[in-house]
Amino acid sequence: MRKFGLHFGLILACVVVLLPPLWALRTSLVPESMSYSTEIFPAFTLDNYTGLFAKNRFGTFYVNSLIVALGSVIVALPFAACTGYAFARFRTGGRFARFAVLATQMLPPVALVLPAFALLRGAGLTNSLPGLILVYSALNLPFLTWILMGFFEGVPVDMEWAAMTDGATAWGAFWRIVLPISLPGLAAAGVLGFILSWNEFLFALVLSGPQTATIPVSLAALQTSNGVQIAKVSAGVVLAILPLVIASRFIQRFIIQGLTFGGVK
Amino acid sequence: MASIELDRVSKIYANGAYGVRDVDLKIEDGEFVIFLGPSGCGKSTTLRMIAGLESMSAGDLRIGGRSVNNVAPRDRNVAVVFQSYALYPHMSVWHNMAFGLKMRGVALSEIDSKVAKAADLLGLNHLLQRKPGALSGGQRQRVALGRAIVREPEAFLLDEPLSNLDAQLRAEMRLELVKLHRRLGRTIVHVTHDQVEAMTMGDRICIMREGRMIQTGRPLDVYANPADTFVARFLATPPMNLIPARLEHEGEKLVVRIDSETSVTVPDKHYLPYVQKAGGPITAGIRAEDIYETRERPDWQHIRVKVVAVEALGAENILIGQLGRDKPIEIQARLGRHVFAPVDSMIDLYVDVEPMHLFDSETGKAVARPPLPVGR
Repeated sequence: MRKFGLHFGLILACVVVLLPPLWALRTSLVPESMSYSTEIFPAFTLDNYTGLFAKNRFGTFYVNSLIVALGSVIVALPFAACTGYAFARFRTGGRFARFAVLATQMLPPVALVLPAFALLRGAGLTNSLPGLILVYSALNLPFLTWILMGFFEGVPVDMEWAAMTDGATAWGAFWRIVLPISLPGLAAAGVLGFILSWNEFLFALVLSGPQTATIPVSLAALQTSNGVQIAKVSAGVVLAILPLVIASRFIQRFIIQGLTFGGVK
Repeated sequence: MASIELDRVSKIYANGAYGVRDVDLKIEDGEFVIFLGPSGCGKSTTLRMIAGLESMSAGDLRIGGRSVNNVAPRDRNVAVVFQSYALYPHMSVWHNMAFGLKMRGVALSEIDSKVAKAADLLGLNHLLQRKPGALSGGQRQRVALGRAIVREPEAFLLDEPLSNLDAQLRAEMRLELVKLHRRLGRTIVHVTHDQVEAMTMGDRICIMREGRMIQTGRPLDVYANPADTFVARFLATPPMNLIPARLEHEGEKLVVRIDSETSVTVPDKHYLPYVQKAGGPITAGIRAEDIYETRERPDWQHIRVKVVAVEALGAENILIGQLGRDKPIEIQARLGRHVFAPVDSMIDLYVDVEPMHLFDSETGKAVARPPLPVGR
């Protein structure tokens, strides 16, 4: 009986969590005119999806989002790895530097948007994907640094010492031993950075233009003076969360996979 | 030539505490030296300073006569085996062993033959393609040794390499290491807190405590002639009995008076070195194996002990008893396996006083006397 109660509670919780995305999926597959119907599934259509790509240039924005999210991870990750390792091993900058990196995450994003806009305008990078990549890289860097620092602190220093007596330089030990061991951590950090950039709205809204908008911006644009096209928005939402669902599968696997798998003891 | 010389080497931490203090030591080429001490005594730190993995705060370090104070670990040509083994988990056994040679730009064919030779020596041939995660503790230990051997370093630095093994494997590896040393003839510095390893493996032991090297010498010499009460207790199981007493004149002789009823007479040949301490408090050090259940020599001295417990180990019995009536002192005696005594009964025992040491009761330092001869 107690077990039944527990399971019932868990099922209820799952329903509460899953209902909104499931309802979005349902709404994306019914005609716009019936989207507010109380019937569970009044009719089936793919018009919302085809319409998104045909009329709303969703394909362009999807590719933009992919480029920006991937690009920002590719740019930020190497820097984050080096910074995180320096913090973890060499006490670089002391406690202050660590705190300062974390403190940048505490600022409200609104406070950073205007300075970022001014900087990008000066460099002629507004309304461009490279500009957005640059800004997202900067936004991701502290967070990724902090995550990777945790991973590197978990790598036994004995291994680096062994590599260094084996003939490696400090950089060699990092490159040949620490980085390969930390691949699961790097992957996890990369996926998290990707998700952050993929979901980001405010900076994209301010810094991108009609050609360079990302998915969150294009979804918001479906809210027109004629009202919200809720079925299309739902279709957009379903497409937007698709990469995130795939990414979270990855991240789970990488995080669960241990860090040192038998190198010590 | 790979002698290792430490000249007033110190390690001072940021908070001003000494990790290692003024260590002077010359390790000869090919010598097997043991650093022994309790955890936190600075022995591993000293080893890491020799390897170059930890910076020295003061002093001079020479390997093979060359000052290496500012030489990177990779250029010191020493190999370290860590307590954790520190194998590279993402590489196979072969690659773990080949890593050091690759870093030094050795040709692949030569790497192959050297790894094969080392694997042969350590019985690792069938494991070369495995990853460390798929090895047992003993196998990992061998791989860690193999990784050190293939490089043919001038010196091996072993940081408690046996402490993660079970008792039987540890005994086997102890022997293996001694054999390996004989075969390779290289300098070995072995850090341990295990007194059995210290007594059985090395040419010389260096006992460390609170960052200082307090005694060095051949294992049996140190055992027979401890410099102070710390060494006396640390280097034996059960530890040496340390008995607070007074040193008094009794006619022509010196006696160690434990209480009004119990005393032992100092052998005549130790009269001269010990007479200076007569009339004052003293700590008498008697090893458990110098206490016997029967008097086999007339100069052995009688004591009466109240039995507290008997630990039967099979080959011998360790008797734990109380000596003296006023302020009973716990002592341990290593007796024959046939000696059984009921708890709380009184038992007559005999002390061979010739190896007995006297220690200053304040400083704990041994009162100087001619060293005991050691049979070899």
